[in-house]
Amino acid sequence: MDILHYILFGFGVAFQPVNLLFCFIGVFIGTLVGVLPGLGPVAAISLLLPTTFRAPPVASIIMLSGIYYGAMYGGSTTSILVNIPGEAASVVTCFDGYQMARKGRAGPALGIAAFGSFIAGTVGVIGLAFMAPPLAAMALKFGPPEYFSLMVLGLTVLTFLSGGSMLKSLMMACFGVVIGNIGLDLMTARPRFTFGMNILLDGVGLVPLVMGLFGISEVLLNVEQQLRERKIFETKLKGLLPTLQDWKESIWPMIRGSVLGFFLGILPGGGAVISSFVSYGIERKLSKHPEEFGKGAIAGVAGPESANNSATAGAFIPLLTLGLPSNAVMAILLGALMIYNMPPGPRLITVHPNLFWGVITSMYIGNVMLLILNLPLIGLWVQILKVPYPILFPLILLFCLIGAYSLNSNPAEVGLMLFFGVLGYLMKKFKYDGAPLVLAMVLGPLMDNSLRQSLLMSGGSGMIFFTRPICLVIFGAVAIILLLPLLPLISRIRKSIGGAEK
Amino acid sequence: MRNPDLSSSLFWFAIGIGISINSLKYGFGTLHEPGPGFITFFAGAILSLLSITLLFSSLRERAQRGGLRDLWAGFELGKVLYVVLLLVAYTLVLKSIGFLISTFVLLSLLLRVRGTYRLVTILFMALLATACSYLIFEIWLKAQLPKGILERII
Repeated sequence: MDILHYILFGFGVAFQPVNLLFCFIGVFIGTLVGVLPGLGPVAAISLLLPTTFRAPPVASIIMLSGIYYGAMYGGSTTSILVNIPGEAASVVTCFDGYQMARKGRAGPALGIAAFGSFIAGTVGVIGLAFMAPPLAAMALKFGPPEYFSLMVLGLTVLTFLSGGSMLKSLMMACFGVVIGNIGLDLMTARPRFTFGMNILLDGVGLVPLVMGLFGISEVLLNVEQQLRERKIFETKLKGLLPTLQDWKESIWPMIRGSVLGFFLGILPGGGAVISSFVSYGIERKLSKHPEEFGKGAIAGVAGPESANNSATAGAFIPLLTLGLPSNAVMAILLGALMIYNMPPGPRLITVHPNLFWGVITSMYIGNVMLLILNLPLIGLWVQILKVPYPILFPLILLFCLIGAYSLNSNPAEVGLMLFFGVLGYLMKKFKYDGAPLVLAMVLGPLMDNSLRQSLLMSGGSGMIFFTRPICLVIFGAVAIILLLPLLPLISRIRKSIGGAEK
Repeated sequence: MRNPDLSSSLFWFAIGIGISINSLKYGFGTLHEPGPGFITFFAGAILSLLSITLLFSSLRERAQRGGLRDLWAGFELGKVLYVVLLLVAYTLVLKSIGFLISTFVLLSLLLRVRGTYRLVTILFMALLATACSYLIFEIWLKAQLPKGILERII
């Protein structure tokens, strides 16, 4: 009954007024950025990160996590009403959600998406509470060689799942490792790749990098094209509550989607995106009426919406147990925890139980808040969707500028962000994925450290990575993943997922 | 350079080589005691190896793909350059002119990039957004935005 005890303890933390308030602010902002196309959770979290430095750490992490899963909720709203996904994980929701809206069933579609997300959030939180502690206990036995091989595995899985060209993603991962190691070397205090610029001595900041790669570049891409007039479905939204028949058709897709999403979410990279696609595929296979998919089948909304939400909970597992982020959002949270002096890793759960249990139970409370926010306030979100892009994009740019500047009150940070903005724009043009770069940049210094420590341990022999059993298994997995795309079937599946994401 | 992958792979190849050469300068160390440039040397080397692979695969696909120009066909590159230039200028003058004035000017110019509003509307919106962001970030979140030439007044 230990876990129950801890969960109750967590609720005690999460129900403190300040944490409730931060949780609410988080899910509110999350829904907002989920609704707004062109401003994703990554940019929003990095924007708000500097503002949390003076706030209590637990409340800050609760808020930043709230933005993450809140955005998943918000993204579904735009998918259903406008056929424009607010973020990548809601792409699938467009297929049937928008069709339901066109048939006048926008209400039940939004309702089932919200309920599905809620149920999935619950499954995710329970899974997190049961799986994280034993994993962390196991991770305590890991040494530098195990950590190094795990990070290599993480980057490899990410490049494999990232949809586009695996070759290009691997290239970006290499480049990211270098960017992560810019600045003073920790062991010898010698500057690396600083080119005489003071701003680079402390290394490239995660916030300017992420806001540039994901915020500025997205705006630049949108500025260059004539935006389609966004048509919002002008129907009276009534009957948000799904009927009994809707529930019957959705309940199993929801449960399957939740479990699937949770486990796929643990994998590095695009867990939420991949799981929503896989869930859609499974539901179509299992459905008695597969021909209705794409024409407004409610199961096609319920499954993927549940999957992408529980995936967000699963994504916390590698961060909170191993200290290794699995996607860009988790990478920022890792940076945040470092700044709050609570380095994530196997000891986090025992050293800072209030953080771990407080944050996961707050996700449960956040899910209730989201349900309340999303259903009655749907009209407000629809209004926000009507803000025209010519007005919206200068504001997004302004937020990024202020966010980067206020990090250290230094315009050089803004310059750095603009550099990565232009780089990100070109990368998108030339079809290079930014996610491996960000993850590798965060892991870069950790990899440098663990690699050097491992070699010191072994007296200069690289064999240390192949003689320790855990390392051997992990590197075996890396080799398999690198070779997998050469199989024609796997390559085709990857391409179809990549194509659908576009 | 007809194929986008061809030119981008050459670019990354050069970057990778540059990284490796610089890493050697920082000190590769030995396997027993790796130096500061150890991991970046390998990252750079792998990056250039991968770009060569991409180069060769792009040579094979050359016939099917369009050229560099196609990446911007039907898009307005001029608007992107204009926005980037505005942002660079903003960064350069932010500290000396101050947040309030430079932000107001920046927003007024940005709002005209895609919008077709009347000048009065644009100025009003820019003023409103500047004031709101100042209230939120400076007054409420205490972000310490630069005051610039308005230092004595506010």
